[in-house]
Amino acid sequence: MADIQETIQDLGRQGSSIADEIQQTVRDKKPLTIRRIVTNEYLLHVLSMTAFLLVWHQAAVSGLFAGALATPWQVVERFQGLMTDTLAGLTIWGHIWASTQRIFIGFVLASALAIPLGLFMALNPYVDAIVKPVFDIFKPMPPIAWISISILWFGIGEPSKIFIIVIGTFVPCLLNSYNGMRLIEPELYDVVKVLGGGRWNEIIQVSFPASFPAIFAGLQISLSMAWTCVLAAELVASRSGLGFIIVQGMKISDTSLVIGGMIIIAIVAWLSSLLIAGLEKYLCPWKRDIAGL
Amino acid sequence: MAYEEVKVKKPLSLILLPILSVLTFFVVWELMVQLDVVPKTMLAAPTQVGSLFVTKLSDPNPDGATIFIHAWVSAQEAFIGYLLALGIGLPLGLFMGWFGVVRGIARPLFELIRPIPPIAWIPLTIFWFGIGLGGKVFIIWLGGVVPCVINAFVGVRMTNPTLIQMARTYGASDWQIFKTLCVPSALPMVFGALQIALACCWTNLVGAELLAADQGLGYLITMGRRLALPDLVVLGMVSVGLAGAAIGVLIDYVERRLLAGIRR
Repeated sequence: MADIQETIQDLGRQGSSIADEIQQTVRDKKPLTIRRIVTNEYLLHVLSMTAFLLVWHQAAVSGLFAGALATPWQVVERFQGLMTDTLAGLTIWGHIWASTQRIFIGFVLASALAIPLGLFMALNPYVDAIVKPVFDIFKPMPPIAWISISILWFGIGEPSKIFIIVIGTFVPCLLNSYNGMRLIEPELYDVVKVLGGGRWNEIIQVSFPASFPAIFAGLQISLSMAWTCVLAAELVASRSGLGFIIVQGMKISDTSLVIGGMIIIAIVAWLSSLLIAGLEKYLCPWKRDIAGL
Repeated sequence: MAYEEVKVKKPLSLILLPILSVLTFFVVWELMVQLDVVPKTMLAAPTQVGSLFVTKLSDPNPDGATIFIHAWVSAQEAFIGYLLALGIGLPLGLFMGWFGVVRGIARPLFELIRPIPPIAWIPLTIFWFGIGLGGKVFIIWLGGVVPCVINAFVGVRMTNPTLIQMARTYGASDWQIFKTLCVPSALPMVFGALQIALACCWTNLVGAELLAADQGLGYLITMGRRLALPDLVVLGMVSVGLAGAAIGVLIDYVERRLLAGIRR
């Protein structure tokens, strides 16, 4: 009996549900058979990536896509060259920096505006009544539809691109902080009341921390939206950035440039979302991950 | 019932404020243009946009098609892309959630495609499909398939492990568990995906049409910019927004009908 209790305490300390842990141990005890080796996920990952690269290579070599497909190796070589050579006056690092900078400025601006506004809307019914209907008019409009008007307003320079990013990131940021705050379990407020706290305690000790996970989910969505927006803006008109690389590749029919640009975007976007996830883990360590279930 | 629903009467100001704020918004917009606070080359007044909409109902100039044709072309592309995304993304996500082999094979490829914004595929699709229907459907499909897979996957992963263990105890096969436990428990997430994927499809549609199109609402916006006609741009934006909202409401209705018996 004491054993079981100790085990349960151990499991509790590890921070995940007991059911999981038991499932885990059962899974580990299965004997090592050929079937288990073949169906091992990591082995399959490696296999599928290899197969993908091989198919890609074959498709490119055999001219299946009307010659409009570079082999993986060509892409790597092209970008090794770009690390030192320049394209439109910038090396690859310069272009990455140009896009990242735009995203960063737009993202920070939008979240600095949208998150407090969303929280404020959720806290105060009057602010909600004033802002929500106007916001609802803009909500269904895809941010990319704003590109044309932002070019009319700001020209094709930096401000118009940052404007697009702000528009695109604003909506998910606001929606998530608004909903995150509104969907807080009312029991939590009751606890504050029982312990004799006032409205201010409720806001500081319950509302903010409880809405963090939703806000971070909103930030993740915003971030991927920001990448879409910056790319669209750069595809339409720009002299630098990763979108420019892709468009340049299209203009000179250099598919290795196009594909390489896409891969770099994928890597940078993935890294930036890791950054947000890291920040989230740091700021709200109590949040449980459904991935473990 | 243990408790009765208390009907709280909304204060009058809370009912009036939304109407007032929308009205103020439109009046300020109209006045800003009429009083030349913003140059007329940059923004069109709501009244101008309204009258242009009425003309565009029958007049194909200056962009080559009436607004209905633009809307129809866009809706067609979005719809095909959306259905393909649902048809491929949802089953893939469900299978990836339950079957380790599918997950092992599909996951790295999916993780590779996922962070690339669909817009980035535009140049490649122009090389491959030209600027016709196929290319745009491909872009829209890419935009819709990612949220479909993610939601279906997460939905299956959220199945109550106790139920799965119970089913195993009673000797259910993998396929039976998948069919009778995982899929139903993933349904709310799957329906969530319908909405999200639609929004993604609609965004990408505009993106695809900005760069490669000769008809459609996104093309209308682009033409407005090229011809420096702000009323055409705003009209395009408003129609895209309205159409998106209308489809959203429709999906919401369907979802509510279908999910009537499922606890959320």
